[in-house]
Amino acid sequence: MPDSTSSPPAVTVENLTKVFKSGLGKQAFVAVRDLSLTVQKGEVYGLIGPNGSGKSTTMKAILGLLSPTVGKTTIFGKSSTEVESRRDVGFLPENPYFYKHLSGLETLLFYGRLCSMSGRDLQDKAREMLALTGLEDAANRRVAGFSKGMLQRLGLAQALLHEPRLIILDEPTAGVDPAGSRKIRDLIMGFKERGITVLVTSHLLEQIQEVCDRVGIMAHGRMVREGKLDDLIAVENETELILADASPDLLAEIRTLAESKGAKWIRSGHSRTTLERLFLESTEEPKS
Amino acid sequence: MNSNSFSPARIWTLAAATVTQLVRMKIMAFLVVFCVIVVAAGFAFPVMNPEQQLKLLKDVSFGALQIFSVVIAIVSTALLLPRDLEDRTLYTILSKPVPRYEYLLGKLIGVLLLIGAGLVLMDIAFSAVLWLRQSLVLVQSVAALKQEGVATPEAIAQLNEFVGKQGLTWNIHLGVLAIFLKASVIAALSLMISCFASSTLFTVVISLLVTIIGHGQGLIREYFFSEGMNQIIKKLGSAMLAILTPDLGVFDVLDNVINGEIVSAFSAGVMIGTAALYVTGYVLVSHLLFVEKEL
Ligand SMILES: Nc1ncnc2c1ncn2[C@@H]1O[C@H](COP(=O)(O)OP(=O)(O)OP(=O)(O)O)[C@@H](O)[C@H]1O
Ligand SMILES: [Mg+2]
Repeated sequence: MPDSTSSPPAVTVENLTKVFKSGLGKQAFVAVRDLSLTVQKGEVYGLIGPNGSGKSTTMKAILGLLSPTVGKTTIFGKSSTEVESRRDVGFLPENPYFYKHLSGLETLLFYGRLCSMSGRDLQDKAREMLALTGLEDAANRRVAGFSKGMLQRLGLAQALLHEPRLIILDEPTAGVDPAGSRKIRDLIMGFKERGITVLVTSHLLEQIQEVCDRVGIMAHGRMVREGKLDDLIAVENETELILADASPDLLAEIRTLAESKGAKWIRSGHSRTTLERLFLESTEEPKS
Repeated sequence: MNSNSFSPARIWTLAAATVTQLVRMKIMAFLVVFCVIVVAAGFAFPVMNPEQQLKLLKDVSFGALQIFSVVIAIVSTALLLPRDLEDRTLYTILSKPVPRYEYLLGKLIGVLLLIGAGLVLMDIAFSAVLWLRQSLVLVQSVAALKQEGVATPEAIAQLNEFVGKQGLTWNIHLGVLAIFLKASVIAALSLMISCFASSTLFTVVISLLVTIIGHGQGLIREYFFSEGMNQIIKKLGSAMLAILTPDLGVFDVLDNVINGEIVSAFSAGVMIGTAALYVTGYVLVSHLLFVEKEL
C-alpha cells in the first residue's frame, strides 16, 4: 500500500472534551476542554503539561478506554470506538501493571496472543523484546516481584511486541534508571528512522526536546501551545552560535566584533534547554 | 473474514489466563478439604443403619460440593474484574484489539472451566468413596443377615436393590451437573454485579445476598404473597423478585438425589434451559454495562 499524502493521519483528536462525573452532589470535573490535535504519520509528537493537565486522559480517549463527553478521536482514520482501530497501536499506560501470577515471558506471550500472534514467531518476538528492554534475567520471574522500573520496561516490551505502526507512550521513562531512560530515547529515535509514529508524554523536557518533531503543551485541560519544536523554541530576533573548543580569547574576539557591528551580546555559556523555559512560561498562565 | 469481530482463540487466551490466575491463587486447596470431608463422612459413623450411612455420606458430600461451587463462583468472579481495574491491567488488555465482550466471556469461561474441573475431580473422589462404602455396607449387611439366619435369596436381592438405589447411580452425576449449572448462573450474576460495583467486597456481599434470596424465592413467594393479598401486588412482587434474583430453586434436585429418587430427563432439561437463559441474560446485561464503563 503506497503511503500517499491523502491517507489519514496517525492520530486525530477533534474538539475533545472529557467531563468526569463524580458522585451525587459533587461537582463534575472537566479534565480536557475542547482539545484538538493531529499527529501525522511518521511524526514524533510530544505532549507535555503539568500534573493533572489531562495528558493521560487524552491518551485514554484516543485508545477508546474512555469515551469522550464531546468530540471524537481517530487512529489511522478509524474511530477509537471501533476495536479495529487498536490493531496497529502499542500503548504503554502510566504506571503499567500486569497479572502478577505470570512471569515476564508469560506476560508477553499473553499479550502477543491477544494480538493474534502465535507459535515460534511469538516466542522469538517475546524473547527479542525482553532482550531489547533489558529484562532477559527476569523472563522467568513472576511480575509480582518486579520493581517499578522493571514494570515500566515490561510495559514497553508489551507495547512494541506486535510491531505497531503507532506507539503511544505515557511517561515511558518514569522510574527507569538513567541508562534505561537513555535507551528508551534511542529506541524512539530508531522508530522515527523506521517511519513509526510516536505519541509520547514525559516530564523530562530535555528528552522531549531531543526526540520530538512537534510538541503540544497542555494546561488545565487545554492546549496552550502547539507546533514544530524548532518554531516553538526559536526566538525571532536572537541567534544561537554553538562552538566547540572555543578559547576565551576567541569568544572575546567574537564579542568585540559583534558589538562593533551593532549587535547586542546577550549571553554566552553552555547550551541549555529552552523548552523548559517555554513550558514554565506557557503553563504559569492564571487559571481560567 | 474480519478476524476482529470474534476470535475464539483470543477468548481462549483470556480464559486460560483466568484459570492460571485462579490456580496460582491456590483456590484449588479447597479440593483437598473436600476430599477429607468426604472420606471422614464416608467412614466416620459406622453405627448407623446402612440407609442412613449412605444418605449421610451423600448429604455431607453434596453440601461440600455446593459450598465449593458457590464460593468459587462468587469470590473468583468478584475478584477478577475489579482487580484488573484496580491494577490497571485492563488498560493494556483493552488497548489491544480485544472487544470488551471477549474479555468478559474469557473471564466467565475461565471461572466456569475451573469450577467444572473442580467438580469433575470431586465427583470422581466422591463416587469412589461412595462405591467403596456401598460395597462395604452390602458385605456387612449380608453378614448380619447370615448371623440372624435370615439370609434368604429374596432378602439378599432386596438388600442389593435397596443399596444399589441409595448408592452410586447416574443420578449422582446429575446432581453434580445441577450444582455446576447453579454455579454458572451465580458466576454470571457476580460478573454482572462486578461490572458496576466499585470494589471486590461490594460484589461479594451483593452476590451472596442475591444468591441467598435466589435460593429462597419459592419460600418468599409463599410467605409474603400468600393470603389476603391484592392480586396485582402479588404479581408485581413476584415479577420483581424474578427479575432481581435468579430462581435457584430450579436446581434443587439434590434432596431427590440424596433420597435416591430418579431425576427425570425432563427436569434435567428444565435445569439446563433455565441455566442457559439466566447466563445469557446476565452476560448480555454485563456487556451493556461494561461497554459503557469508564476505565
Ligand atoms: N477516572 C477519573 N475520575 C475522576 N477524575 C479523573 C479521572 N481520571 C483523571 N481524572 C482527573 O482528570 C485530570 C487530568 O488527569 P490526567 O491523568 O489526564 O493528568 P496528566 O496530565 O496525565 O497528569 P500527570 O502528569 O500527573 O500524569 C486530573 O485532575 C484527574 O484528577
Ligand atoms: Mg498522566
